[in-house]
Amino acid sequence: MRKIYRLSPYTKSFRFRLYLIFTVTIALLTAAFASFYVMTEINGYRSKLKREGKLLATILAQNARLPLFAENRDSLTVLAQGTARYPSVLSVSISNADGRFVAEARNSKEKPGDAIEMDVPITSPGQVLSPESVLLGHTSVDEERVIGKVHLRLDTSGARERLITLVAASLAIGTLFWILVSLLCYQILKRVTASFNMLMGGIEEIGSGNLSARVALDGDDELGRAANAINAMAASLELRELENLSLQEELLKAMKLEVQEEKKRVMARLIHTNKMTSLGLLLSSMAHEINNPNASIRFSGHMIGKMWADVVPLLDGVWQEEGEFYLGGVPFQTARLALADNAAKIVENSERIARVVQGLRDYGVGGGGQLRQKLEINAAVSAALSVLACQMKREVQLSTSLGTGIPVIAGSQQQIEQVLINLILNAVQAYAGGRGEVILSTRYDSAAAEVVVEVKDNGAGISAETMGRLFEPFYSTKLERGGSGLGLYISQYIVAEHGGRLQLSSTLGKGTLARVVLPTMAAASMGGVVAAKDAQHPSDPLHQIG
Amino acid sequence: MGRSGGQMQFLRILLASLLLLISPLPVLAYDVLVLQSMHEKGYDEAVRGFNRECRSSTRTVVLSDYAEADITRITREEHPRLIVAVGDRALALAQKQSGTPVLYMMALNPKPRKGTSGVVMLLDPSRYLAVFDALGARRVGVVYDPARSGAYLKRAQSAAGRSAIDLVAREVHSAKATPAMLQSLRGKVDAIWMLPDTTAVSPASTEAYFLFSQGEMVPVVTFADVYLSMGGAVALTIDRFDIGRQLGEMAQSVLDGTPVEEIPPEPPRRVVTKSNDSVVRRLKANLGPGVR
Repeated sequence: MRKIYRLSPYTKSFRFRLYLIFTVTIALLTAAFASFYVMTEINGYRSKLKREGKLLATILAQNARLPLFAENRDSLTVLAQGTARYPSVLSVSISNADGRFVAEARNSKEKPGDAIEMDVPITSPGQVLSPESVLLGHTSVDEERVIGKVHLRLDTSGARERLITLVAASLAIGTLFWILVSLLCYQILKRVTASFNMLMGGIEEIGSGNLSARVALDGDDELGRAANAINAMAASLELRELENLSLQEELLKAMKLEVQEEKKRVMARLIHTNKMTSLGLLLSSMAHEINNPNASIRFSGHMIGKMWADVVPLLDGVWQEEGEFYLGGVPFQTARLALADNAAKIVENSERIARVVQGLRDYGVGGGGQLRQKLEINAAVSAALSVLACQMKREVQLSTSLGTGIPVIAGSQQQIEQVLINLILNAVQAYAGGRGEVILSTRYDSAAAEVVVEVKDNGAGISAETMGRLFEPFYSTKLERGGSGLGLYISQYIVAEHGGRLQLSSTLGKGTLARVVLPTMAAASMGGVVAAKDAQHPSDPLHQIG
Repeated sequence: MGRSGGQMQFLRILLASLLLLISPLPVLAYDVLVLQSMHEKGYDEAVRGFNRECRSSTRTVVLSDYAEADITRITREEHPRLIVAVGDRALALAQKQSGTPVLYMMALNPKPRKGTSGVVMLLDPSRYLAVFDALGARRVGVVYDPARSGAYLKRAQSAAGRSAIDLVAREVHSAKATPAMLQSLRGKVDAIWMLPDTTAVSPASTEAYFLFSQGEMVPVVTFADVYLSMGGAVALTIDRFDIGRQLGEMAQSVLDGTPVEEIPPEPPRRVVTKSNDSVVRRLKANLGPGVR
């Protein structure tokens, strides 16, 4: 079984199969010819032996005719002995017509075994007439009379020896012939199948995917034509493959572009959402800040109106009693109407302000600036701080250390503000209600031509598990406290969009350092521009609030 | 084939018998009744020779055509003046009657009887002796059966006595003895004389003569030319036609009134000598001019 397995690669070879067929056929033919030759030779030898024996016996019969007729045993014995001296004769016996042995001679070398027995009759001459018939002129009748029999035993051991010699010689010559012809066949097959193998090798190589491979076969025979056809096929396949590849590349590129655009769109939406969140915060603090004085104004207006209404009858009595008098340089009768009117206006306008604030609160304003705008990092920090001013808890102290000589960089101040707001809020939230300090610093790394903003806290720090997932969207440890899980994700995106990087390093229990590194204008190579649909102009009055 | 041949023969015999029975006696008046043993080339030849010489009217009866021919009745009824017997069987039959003289020919063993004569088959011994003489052979070996050729040999020996030839005779009583007898002549003879003796010359032993001749380098003088082809040197053969003519002359003289008793049996008068030249040449024998 194992042998078959070992042979199987050979049995699958066309050359090997052909060679096997050739050699087996030649072996069979050689064996057939050799057997035929041996058989013919042996038969020839036997028939020659028989002929020789027959000849000897016939000669003996002729010679023995007269002695047998005369019953001369001595001369018959001499004749028999003479014949028995022949090497192929084993024994000779002469018997008369009654079957009685008259003479017998044996060859000394007689051995038991296969022997050819041969009987030849001894006849009187038929043509010879009796003297009477001769005298009377009678015609002769051809009638031979058997007067005895010569019996020969012929030795066939020579045939056996000859058979052995012949078989050995045939085997040797046959084997030699077979080997020679097999070798010749092998050479011929090798030459014949070389181009076939070359073709096969080429096809296999092409089949394995190497379409640039070619069958290096010249010639105008069938194989050559097949090779040409296969080469042409491979060339056409290669062309198709190349076309395919380029198409695939194009497709990939298109898909990438699409994905990028989609990503940008998604990111813009995300930024928008985040901004809305920030804006919500801003608006709620702003509404609080405006509504309080506004309520006071409205209340004051109401109070003025009510008080005026109570005061008017008194003043009317005065007028009636005292006549015309002036209030603030305005005659009472004019002032009486104008004051009531102004008080109503105060209330009305205050209510209007309240509506406006309410309207702003309800209305989510998106924003986005041109990244190509000039951005002063310290200004952005200040703006962020002003947004966060009313959010800052009393327990957390915010200290800033703003660097000087920081160059203006290209970018969206509003976006960077958003990043900073996110980072500061995270830092503040790291204290979880405890006391702490958030240090905000800016500096310029002239060696690297980078602007660095760092937000440092000494809070709880970030666990290793959380660290790995910090920039995942919608991943937040503060979801139950209103976190969206988008802050760092969007911040990183914005910083990346600005060609910079957002780095976070933290030690659990000791605090976190968030670093925003932005390239200066010269070094900046911003990949893209976030075109926010709801971009807000930096001079938007909202930014100046606080 | 054999059956139809037998039927034919039967019909033929029946027809002949009827003819013999029916035919009136005087119708077939003739002088000579020729009795022929059988249809055979040699007999026919002799009969032709006879008819050539004897002009008398003849009737020929071939005995082999009849189951049995009653010769006594024929002679009684047809009164032939002479019966010519051709062959031994015909002679024996002819000798059964005594009224009519009988002349025979082609008979090998004629028995001398009153009223019977003819031409014998054996040549005069002197003819042979002349040949031996011509061959230069002095010692001539002869193998013979006294019962058959004793008389002839006696004549030969007396003839040889007259010449310088010495006949070395060996008697044989059976054919088997011939080769041995011939061997006994080894180195003792210059030539071999082959007699027409059935015992001495049987088909089986014939070649012994020629083997002897070959071995001893002595010529064999024989009685028929067929032996020349087997190795015989010289053959003295009879002329059957001439024997017929010889007998015809004899018959004519009988018909002319000469009594048969006065005519002794004669040997054939004409001898044809033939020789195998190559054998003769090989045996370096010198043949006299008379032999050839």
